[in-house]
Amino acid sequence: MKRRAFIARNPAFNRLLSSVELVNHALIGTRGLAQTYTMSEISPVFPIESLPTPADAKYRDLVASHFRNYRLIVDGAVEQPAALSLAQLHSMRQISEITRHDCVDGWSAIAKWSGVRLADVLALARPRRDARYVVFYCMDTDERGTPYYESLDCHQANHPQVLLALRMNGVPIPNDYGAPVRLRVPTQLGYKSAKWIERAEVVGSFAHLYGGDGGYWEDQGYQWYAGI
Amino acid sequence: MSKIARANVFERKGHYLGPDTAVLRYYARGMNVCRAIYKYAVATRVSHWLWVLAFGALVSSGLQIFNAAPFLDAFDRRDQSHRVLSIDSPQDGVGTTTLFGHVFTTTTWLGWTPNGMGGYASRAFPSWITIPSFQDLADGRRWHFFFAWTALVAWLTWLISSAVKGNLRHILLAPSDIPKLWPMQAYYLHLRKAPPPYGLYNPLQKASYTAVLFGLAPLVVLTGLSLSPGIDTIAHPLTWILGGRQFARLWHFTGMILLVGFWLIHVFQVLTQGVINQLMSMITGWYRPEEYQTVPVEHR
Repeated sequence: MKRRAFIARNPAFNRLLSSVELVNHALIGTRGLAQTYTMSEISPVFPIESLPTPADAKYRDLVASHFRNYRLIVDGAVEQPAALSLAQLHSMRQISEITRHDCVDGWSAIAKWSGVRLADVLALARPRRDARYVVFYCMDTDERGTPYYESLDCHQANHPQVLLALRMNGVPIPNDYGAPVRLRVPTQLGYKSAKWIERAEVVGSFAHLYGGDGGYWEDQGYQWYAGI
Repeated sequence: MSKIARANVFERKGHYLGPDTAVLRYYARGMNVCRAIYKYAVATRVSHWLWVLAFGALVSSGLQIFNAAPFLDAFDRRDQSHRVLSIDSPQDGVGTTTLFGHVFTTTTWLGWTPNGMGGYASRAFPSWITIPSFQDLADGRRWHFFFAWTALVAWLTWLISSAVKGNLRHILLAPSDIPKLWPMQAYYLHLRKAPPPYGLYNPLQKASYTAVLFGLAPLVVLTGLSLSPGIDTIAHPLTWILGGRQFARLWHFTGMILLVGFWLIHVFQVLTQGVINQLMSMITGWYRPEEYQTVPVEHR
């Protein structure tokens, strides 16, 4: 057991194991569209397996005021930083899609998600030439206080099915599912679809953020490219 | 002495066991000469040992991945009535396995098992069979994807090399082999004194290798790929044909069980049919068909 743990923790060996992630990403690419489903295929139960729903004063106040004071900050390497209210997000072009959420654990669930294309929001902010990634900062934290965050590269962020979702199955996203705004990335595993988003920062690199691997789970060894 | 030395290097194209041309080698064994047959090409041997390595890593890391969601559903909507298998721990110290609604107590083997850190925990498969031993989905996935590529590259290397050399006919089950399947089984069951005539591989070997290399292995690769949301974006029909992602997970697991079944029979056969000769032949390529039947030197 100890020996296997030692091998599993050997950095050079892990780099070798991880080398196939680049191959997988390159072969699959980012252009393909996720399957869409019909209303009758929506899952009766959609599991909740994320960090706990935020319970701090800030989030409680947002809930109490029906997210009237919520602002989605879009900043970083952009020409026009923005702070978008829910009303502003609702006034933009709304997209609906019935897609499958594939959890890294192995379960799947189908739901109807509606909201704005991330691409449309980014177009408002006009990313600069040095923009390479969009980092999403979330309101949820783990038991040690480490915040959840995620990142997409510019190709993934401009995918037509990638949404900043505002509604789930026809109603405003319930609090436990990421209210008021969550990301939906149906082409990758569920941990990319970050809940409770409060800020999208356009960056050239995410190496300086938190663990440096571009996401809460990525910092704990999960693949940054979550297409497999 | 010189005669034996010459016999040692003697090598020729000849006919052996039926119409297939094979390379034979005669070599010294005491005062006698032994026959060996060049049975496994380099690509076959290298692929074989890569598969041994990859298969072990894939099964162990696959069970680690399974542990993260220890159930199998025959439907994409979450629905208990479509649950085929689940491995649970209803309370500390108890492990249960539910198969098609039938509950079995499987404490210490499944459900409540060693956790890889000196204790027991609610964990579907035990630490002694998973990679890593303790629960770590991220590590399990890294091992799984790396060795999936290893197995695939080994399979393609073997397939292309065998096809180019025209060796696939030795191993592919042909229609003419089908009538020989039962006589071969009867021989194994001691119901028949001699096996039916065959080439490099007997009819049962051909049937099982064909099923594994061209049926099960591709099935396990395709069902594994269809679990990926990324692959789903470039190959919709794959998941659709398999009945959805959860169904694909069920097929992937079933394929693994069948491959483990093949592996058990395969290892049993090797252990009972001259294990040294079998292992050495998969290392050097040279197989001695009649291990103890040697030909006196002067008869060569």
